Amino acid sequence: MKKLSLILCGLLILCSGPYFAMEDEVPSFHAYVDSDLCARLMLGPITTARVDCSVKTYKDGSNPVLVRLTDNTVFDVNKQKLLKDHVGGFGVAAGEVKVKSGTMKLNNFKPADRSEIPPGPEQRLLDVRTYTAKGSAELHEKIRHELAMIAYITTFDFISFSMVGNDVILSGWTVRDTNRSDAEYRVKRVPGVGTVVNNIEILPLGGADMEIRAAARTALQRNLSTYFWSNGSDIKIVVKNGTIILLGSVRTQQDSDIATIQCNSVSFVFHVFNLLRVTGPEQKQKEKDKG
Amino acid sequence: MIVTIAMMTGCSPAAETKPGVKQIAAGQKFSGFLKDYDALTPNPNLDGEALTFAAKDAKQNLRSYFAIIVDPVEVYVATDADVNQVSDDARIALTNYFQHALVGAVSDAFPVVDTPSPLTLRLRTALVGVDVGGQVSTGDVPSDAKPLQRALNIGKVGVEMELVDSKTGERIAAMVDRTNLGDGAEVGAKDFSRVQKFAAAREAFDEWALRVRTFLDSEHELKGEDAVLADRSYQPY
Repeated sequence: MKKLSLILCGLLILCSGPYFAMEDEVPSFHAYVDSDLCARLMLGPITTARVDCSVKTYKDGSNPVLVRLTDNTVFDVNKQKLLKDHVGGFGVAAGEVKVKSGTMKLNNFKPADRSEIPPGPEQRLLDVRTYTAKGSAELHEKIRHELAMIAYITTFDFISFSMVGNDVILSGWTVRDTNRSDAEYRVKRVPGVGTVVNNIEILPLGGADMEIRAAARTALQRNLSTYFWSNGSDIKIVVKNGTIILLGSVRTQQDSDIATIQCNSVSFVFHVFNLLRVTGPEQKQKEKDKG
Repeated sequence: MIVTIAMMTGCSPAAETKPGVKQIAAGQKFSGFLKDYDALTPNPNLDGEALTFAAKDAKQNLRSYFAIIVDPVEVYVATDADVNQVSDDARIALTNYFQHALVGAVSDAFPVVDTPSPLTLRLRTALVGVDVGGQVSTGDVPSDAKPLQRALNIGKVGVEMELVDSKTGERIAAMVDRTNLGDGAEVGAKDFSRVQKFAAAREAFDEWALRVRTFLDSEHELKGEDAVLADRSYQPY
């Protein structure tokens, strides 16, 4: 009798294995090797522009990460050296993933050609048409508004999103756990939204990064005060391990350049990625001339 | 002269009659844990008896910070309590639990760190009005819990707290919460967090901590012009 119970228990464990493994899996999957910066901003198909972004920003100091092709989930990996020669390319990654925290203990990475990606969801997410067929403009605006209203967002957080049909991919960086979970909660409750992939990264709060944040904000407030108000700002300052990523918008190219110069003058900054959008009449005229 | 002014403002400093324990001076409206009570006003976002203050300086307000250091909680015993009956074990049990509850309540909004730095607040908190309760018999607690010699009564306890800049000490926000949540509650064991008899005390501490979080949430809520600006400026990439 005792033997029978043991056998039954063993069978039960074997059968239920995949269900237990849903959160902390040890799988292998097809992935794109991206830079942290591009993976969290250029959500969508792997175009030539995306590959260029991955390679350039990796060379400039952004960490390599894996983007799982089935659902666009971004994973920070422990063994970055396994990826360093493959940024901008594809491969099969194996290891233990934690979807909730967006991390992976990488055991192995085998490079693969794009043509080796099997048909199905992986190929679908590589296709530009998947992203151009976005959900409705109305749904997009509702999501945008929900994310704009997150109470604890500061100058040091930036959350972005993209839509694949009615499914939403959240991305960006935050200094607070609550912003990551609140963003997902708010988007999930918007009527019409399908699945939500949460790629928002929680930033480390090391002492040096804190000093950089404070100094960069002070410098920008002093020189570009028009973009700051009491409880927020048009310019977002994301700081990660000594790197500053400037996001948001300014009116002129000159203001954008001032932002770069000011942030480069902050002590202990390794690199400044200026991704500010220039939105003033000057830029609109340029775009008009181009078009 | 100084004594007269202190009496008039109702905040003469409490005397530390025993290490880690201060006693509220007779006839005082407040404990004296906060240096200044003048700026505190009733807060419509909190029910019960709570007075709060939040700096409105455009460059230095609660929204200018996002990390926090949670200081050990201080204890102020009631004016007529016998301080000598407050054992170190009892004080530590009380303050550790409340500090832990505070960390739990605020940490997802304000990541907890342990060194002062820019953008980091320091949370100072005091339990005010702690009284000495009755003797605790070993039968009151399970065999694996360590009973205190004398319980601490938190029936008339209130909470005073302030958030200061961790570098400069400048006050950014403060709160005096006199909402009576611990009516009849006592702490009678060193590890009271797992003793059913002291569940009321745990609930009171947890609730006070949540009220601190509610105060922080209400100060971060986007309203009026702030909400308009936040909505207008946000464009995903």
